[in-house]
Amino acid sequence: MTAGAPGGAIGTAPAVPPSRGPFAVPARIRSGWYQRSRQERLALRLLLPVFGLVFVAATIPFVLAVVQALTSDDGRFIGADNFGRALSNDQLFEAIRQTAIYGSVVLPTEILLGLGLALLVHRTVKSRVLRAVIYVAAMIPIVIPQVAVGVVFRLLYIPDYGLINVLLGQTGNSQILWLSSPPLAIFAVASVDIWQWTPFVYLIMFAGLQTVPPESVEAAQLDGATSWTQFRHIELFYLRPLLLLVFFFRLADVLRVFDHVYILTGGGPGTTTQFLSLYLYRIAFRFSDLGQASALAVLVMAFMIVLYTVISRFLPADTSS
Amino acid sequence: MQRMKAVAFLSAMAIALAACGGGNNGASGASGGNVTLTIAAVKGVEDTGLKALAPMYTQKTGVKIKIVEAPYADLYTKLVNTFQAHQATYDLVMMDDPWMPKFGTIDALTPLEPLGVQKDTDVAQVVWDVGTWPPPRGPVPPSEKNKQKALLGVTIVGNVEMFMWRKDITPTGPKSYDEVLSNAKAQNKSNFAGYIIRGKATNPVVADFLPILWSFGGDVFDENWNVVFDNQQSLAAVKFLVDDLKAVAQTGPDTTDAAERDQKMASGQGYESSTWPGEINTAVLGPGSTVVGKVGFEPIPQGPSGKAVGMMGNWMLGVPKDSKNQQAAADFIKWMLQKDTQTTYAQNGGIPSRTSVLKDSSLQTANPYFSVLADALQAPPNWRPRTDQWNAVETIIGTELNKALAGQQSAQDVVTNASKQIRSLMKQAGYPTSQ
Amino acid sequence: MTRIATRLLTWLALAIAFVVFVFPLYYLVVTSLKTHAELFQAVPTLFPRQPTLASYSSLLFDQGFAQLLLNSIVVGISATALALVIAFAICYPITRLPVRPRMRSFVLNWALSLRFLPPIAVVIPYFLIVRTIGLYNQIPALVIVYTIFNLPLSIWMLKGFLEQIPAEVEEAALVDGGTRFQAFRLVLLPLASTGILAAGIIVFAFDWAEFLFAFILTATPDSMTFPVGVQGLVTQFEIIWNDMAAGGVIAILIPLVLMLFARRYVIAGLTFGVIREK
Repeated sequence: MTAGAPGGAIGTAPAVPPSRGPFAVPARIRSGWYQRSRQERLALRLLLPVFGLVFVAATIPFVLAVVQALTSDDGRFIGADNFGRALSNDQLFEAIRQTAIYGSVVLPTEILLGLGLALLVHRTVKSRVLRAVIYVAAMIPIVIPQVAVGVVFRLLYIPDYGLINVLLGQTGNSQILWLSSPPLAIFAVASVDIWQWTPFVYLIMFAGLQTVPPESVEAAQLDGATSWTQFRHIELFYLRPLLLLVFFFRLADVLRVFDHVYILTGGGPGTTTQFLSLYLYRIAFRFSDLGQASALAVLVMAFMIVLYTVISRFLPADTSS
Repeated sequence: MQRMKAVAFLSAMAIALAACGGGNNGASGASGGNVTLTIAAVKGVEDTGLKALAPMYTQKTGVKIKIVEAPYADLYTKLVNTFQAHQATYDLVMMDDPWMPKFGTIDALTPLEPLGVQKDTDVAQVVWDVGTWPPPRGPVPPSEKNKQKALLGVTIVGNVEMFMWRKDITPTGPKSYDEVLSNAKAQNKSNFAGYIIRGKATNPVVADFLPILWSFGGDVFDENWNVVFDNQQSLAAVKFLVDDLKAVAQTGPDTTDAAERDQKMASGQGYESSTWPGEINTAVLGPGSTVVGKVGFEPIPQGPSGKAVGMMGNWMLGVPKDSKNQQAAADFIKWMLQKDTQTTYAQNGGIPSRTSVLKDSSLQTANPYFSVLADALQAPPNWRPRTDQWNAVETIIGTELNKALAGQQSAQDVVTNASKQIRSLMKQAGYPTSQ
Repeated sequence: MTRIATRLLTWLALAIAFVVFVFPLYYLVVTSLKTHAELFQAVPTLFPRQPTLASYSSLLFDQGFAQLLLNSIVVGISATALALVIAFAICYPITRLPVRPRMRSFVLNWALSLRFLPPIAVVIPYFLIVRTIGLYNQIPALVIVYTIFNLPLSIWMLKGFLEQIPAEVEEAALVDGGTRFQAFRLVLLPLASTGILAAGIIVFAFDWAEFLFAFILTATPDSMTFPVGVQGLVTQFEIIWNDMAAGGVIAILIPLVLMLFARRYVIAGLTFGVIREK
C-alpha cells in the first residue's frame, strides 16, 4: 500500500502543497453559471448537514464550560466569581511559569537536535537501506502510547530501582535524585518529551531537505560554499516554513502535556512539574471544584484561540485565505 | 443521487453506532435472581483478603462477585465521578475513611442499618463512628448539621497507623518522638536511614505527618473549623519532620511512597518509620525480605504534648445509592462481618476489625501486630478531619510538605502557605473559618 | 585527514544518538521479560537472567487485561470508522465540488484550530455531557469523544489525499454518461482507498494511545481501555514493573505494526497533511 499511490501524485508531492488559489475548482465546472450553481448547491447540501452536526457537537463543550464557569453548583448565575478565584490563585501563575520553563527547555532542544540530525543524515548517510531503518526507528516513539513512555522512564529515573543511577555507579544515600531536585525533575520530564518528539522534528526536517533542488546545492558547492553557507543560504530557505510549523505544533503540545508527567512525577516535587494541564486536573478532580476548573478551561481555550489566530497567519497553504 | 449518498452515509453511521453499541453490556444487571455484585476496590494489599473471600461467597450463595481495582491515587477520583454520573456502576465501593465526608455530603451512599447491618460491641466503637455520617462526635460541617445520622460504611480493613523499628538493633522501640529522633541520629549512616520518611506529595506524606502533628499538640482545624495549622505546636511538628527527621532520613524523601519505604525496610536499609498494618505482611516482611523477625511494631510514640495519637485509615465498604442490588450488597457486608468469616479473612491476608479475632492467639504468630492493632483501635485513634473538603486540604498540606522535603521551602513557609490556601478554600466552601 | 576525522565523528554522533534513542525501548522489553524475583534485587540487571513471558500471560489472562485490549480495539475501530465516514462526507464537497473559498477555508481552519485545544480543558464539559446522557462508563461515550477529537486530523488527511486525485478522472466518468454517484463510487473511491486506509491507521493509533478521556470516562473493565489499565498497575505499596513493562510493550506493538504499513503517511498525518513526504 505504500508503493505508487493511485493518482500518482502523493509520493512526489512537494513538502508544502501549493496554495490552490481562490477558486479550487476544475475549469470545466467553473464554466457556465447554471451548472456551477447547481454543483454548488449539491456541495452545500452534502456538506452543511454533516459539518453542522459535527460543528455543534464539538462546540457544545465550549458552551458548557462557559455556562459551568458562570454558575454555582446549584445552578445560580454568579458572574465572574469563578474567574476571580481562578486568577487569584498563585499556583496558577506558578503553573504557567513552570509550563513556560518546560517549553523553553523542550522546544529549542527538540528543534535544534532534530534539525541537526536531519542535516547529518542527509549529508552523510547515503545508503537507502540505512535511511529506511532510521526512518522506521524515528517513527517508533511517535506512535507509542504516552503511558508506555511514562513507564519506561520511571524505570530509568526512579531512585533505588532506576537503571541510570546504577549505570552511573550511584547507589544508596548519595545517588542522584532525578525526580526529586527541582531542576533535575524538570530535566527528567523534559528528557522524555525530547526523546519522544525530536524524531518527529527530524522526520519533518528530513522530508523538507529532500525538497531542496539538487541543482542549487551543486551550483553553490561549485562556488566553494562551505556546509554552513550551504545550509544558511539554500537549505534554510526551504526549511523555514516547516520550522515554523513544527514550532507551532510543538508549542500546542507543550500546553497540553499531561500523560507522561502524571505518570512520572505526578507534578512533584512540590509543584515543580505541575504544568498547566496538571494544575487543571488537580482543581477539577482532586479539589472537585468544577466551577473554578471550568473557568480555567475557558481561559485556556481563549488563550489558545488567540494563539491560534496568530499562528494560522504563518502556517503554509490553505489554512488562511 | 445526493439522496443515495446521504442514505449511504447515514447507513454507514448507523452501522458504526450499532457496532459500538454492541460492545457495551450493562455493568451490573440483576436478572432472574442471578445477581452479580460489582465491587470497586483499591489495588494492593488492602483488597487481598477481599479477593480471597469473594469466590467463597459465590460458592456459598451463588452471588457472583466482580472486583474492579484502581490504584489508591485514582480510586477517589473514579468514585466521585461515578457518584456524579448517577449510574448503577458499582454495587459496593471500598473507601478510605477520610473520603466518607465527601461521599456523605453528596449523599452518594445508602444507609446500611435499614438493610439489616447491625452494630455490635465486639467491634470497636470508633469503627462504627467512622462509618457514620454526619460524624457522631467532633466538628460537623455546616451543611451537614441537620442531616439524620446514618451508618454508611462498614470497616473491612481495620487499619490504624503504627510505628515500626528494628528490634534487633534496639530491643525496645522509641516511646516518644524525642527518642525517635535520638535513635535515628544514632543509627543513621551511609546507606542506612535513621528514619524513613514517606514523603511523596498529597496523601502519602500527610499520612506520615498527621500522627506527628497530633502528638505535638497541633492540628489542622479546631472544634469550630478555624485553621490552626500555623500555631506554634503545628509549626513545631512541621519543623520536626522537614528539618530534624529529614536530616537523619534517606535521600530523596520527597519521592518515597510506601512501596519505596517498604523496599528500604525489607532490604535492611532503614531503622524506623511509621507503617500501616496492610504493608507489614506483604511488603516489609514479605517474600525476599531480609528483616523477618527483626522488626518490632508498637503504637505511635508520644509527642512533646504527652499525647500519643494514632491515626485511623480504615477501609470501609459502602453501598452506592445508585446500585440496583442494594440488599444483596448489604447481605455481603453482613457476611463479611461474621466472626467466622473474619477469621477466614485474617487467614487469607485480610485485616479484621473484630476485637475477638484480632486477639485470637492462633492468629498472632502469622500477624505479630494484631494485638497492638486491637489496642490501638480501642484507644481510640484520631480520624482525619470530617470535612468534604478533606481531599483538597490533604492535597494542599501534602504539596507544601513535599516542597519542603525537596528543599524548596522552609517549615515556616509550609504552615504559612498551607494555612492561607486552606482558609481560602474553607471560606469558599461555606465553613465559618475565621482567623 | 580532517575529512576522514569529520566523517568519523559524524558517524559516531549518529551512532550515539541512535543508541541513546533505542535504549529505553530495549529496557522496556527486557524488564517485561524479567521474573518477579529479579525485580526485587537491589541492583537492576541489563539482561534478564531467566527470560520469561510470565508477565504477559499474567497480565492478559490472570488480571483480565485481554478484556481491556478488546475494548481498546472496539473503541479504536468504531471511532476510526466513524471519523473517516464523517470526514469523507465533509471533504468530498470541499475538494471535488465548487464550494466558495471562504466556506472551504472556514471548515479547514476550524478543523485545524481543534488541534490546538488542550484536551484537559474540554474533559470536564465532556464528562458533564456524558453523565447527562447516561453514557458514563460505556464504550459509545469514548467512541463519540474520540471521533470528535480525531475528526480534524481525518479531515485534513483526506483533503490532502483527495486533492491529489485529478478532477479529470472523475469528469471523464461523467462525460461517459455516468452519474456523479457512480463517478464517486467507481472512480474516486477506489483511487482514494489507499489514502483512506492510511488515514484510518493513523487515526486508530491515536485512539489506541489515548489516556486522559478514557481515564475520566470509564470505571470498570466493561469499558476501560488498555492504557488506563496499565497506569492502574501502580499501587501504593508495590509497583509491578514487569507487568507494567509488558503492558507497555503490548501497547506499543499494535500501533507500531500498523504504522509500518502506513509509514509513508505518518508525517502527513502528524502535521495534518500540511507536510507530505517523498
